[in-house]
Amino acid sequence: MSADINNHPLEDWQANVAAARQENSPQTVMEMIPYAAFIGAQAKIENDRLLYWLDKRASNIGNPSLPAIHGGVIGGFLELSAAIEIIYSLDIAAVPKVVDFSLDYLRAGRYKTIYAKCNVLRQGKKLVNVSATAWQDDEQTPIATARCHFLI
Amino acid sequence: MAFDMTMALFRPALKYAMEKNGHGKTLGLKMTGINRGEINLVFPYKEEVIGNPLTGVIHGGIIVSLLDTACGSAAMTVLNTPAVTPTIDLRLDYMHPAEPNKPIYVEAKVYRQTSNVIFCRGLAWQEDKENPIAHCVANFMKVDSKSINFSAIAITQLRRLMPWGQKSASSDQGAEK
Repeated sequence: MSADINNHPLEDWQANVAAARQENSPQTVMEMIPYAAFIGAQAKIENDRLLYWLDKRASNIGNPSLPAIHGGVIGGFLELSAAIEIIYSLDIAAVPKVVDFSLDYLRAGRYKTIYAKCNVLRQGKKLVNVSATAWQDDEQTPIATARCHFLI
Repeated sequence: MAFDMTMALFRPALKYAMEKNGHGKTLGLKMTGINRGEINLVFPYKEEVIGNPLTGVIHGGIIVSLLDTACGSAAMTVLNTPAVTPTIDLRLDYMHPAEPNKPIYVEAKVYRQTSNVIFCRGLAWQEDKENPIAHCVANFMKVDSKSINFSAIAITQLRRLMPWGQKSASSDQGAEK
């Protein structure tokens, strides 16, 4: 799918996003972005909300002696999740552009699956503010929270 | 400048740990400068990390990884004994998108340290350092535990190079699950 997209313009992108919504498949949108496959991020709908997850893989390790997931991967995963949240759930034409990203690390990301949920806090004409939270065992004990602004 | 023995020993260990393991290896980054409180690295453009398939611009998450690696490494270099420096937080401003097919250069500097916290700044640019693609500030904790065992990493990797050592799959398992 993503290979198909690379050579096609914006209309194809929009058509594919629309089709993904029709099929209730945020994973389809995820697969349109090569970086998602690079880290192994996935998405699904659970209880009417988008749930993102990142299965453990050796290529995402930051500190090999613990082992712990690379902090940059956790950041990248949350930024990606926030972007998918916008593309999938808001009615916008283009791919959102990230303006800034602020990340608080709360606990070390252990070598197991990381989950994430996002919240669109405000959608303006140009700017969207999204918060994202990542956890492993329990949603109430997050490992990281992020806040980002996107231009749409 | 006087010869810095700690840095002389730390430099190859840090370079090895960041370039040949886990996500650093997967990214393919190269540490080009390792000094007290200062890190430089280079990331080559890769199609696998595209974030916008319409333009070929790489995903912002890569910039997060690069700056987190650079700032975290810079934080480690100000310690007298190697230890982990957990990231407290990181704030990243994207000035403009990275141009496809061009390497990204990253510089991170420790600008202040206290007894508990190390304060870093980082910059990412392509052709013109005065026109950066991103700027970040990141803060790190000083902790007592030595949870990075550089010598254990080095010994494991050396053992693999020996003819009698196991021809292990683990050095290539990075790409798989």
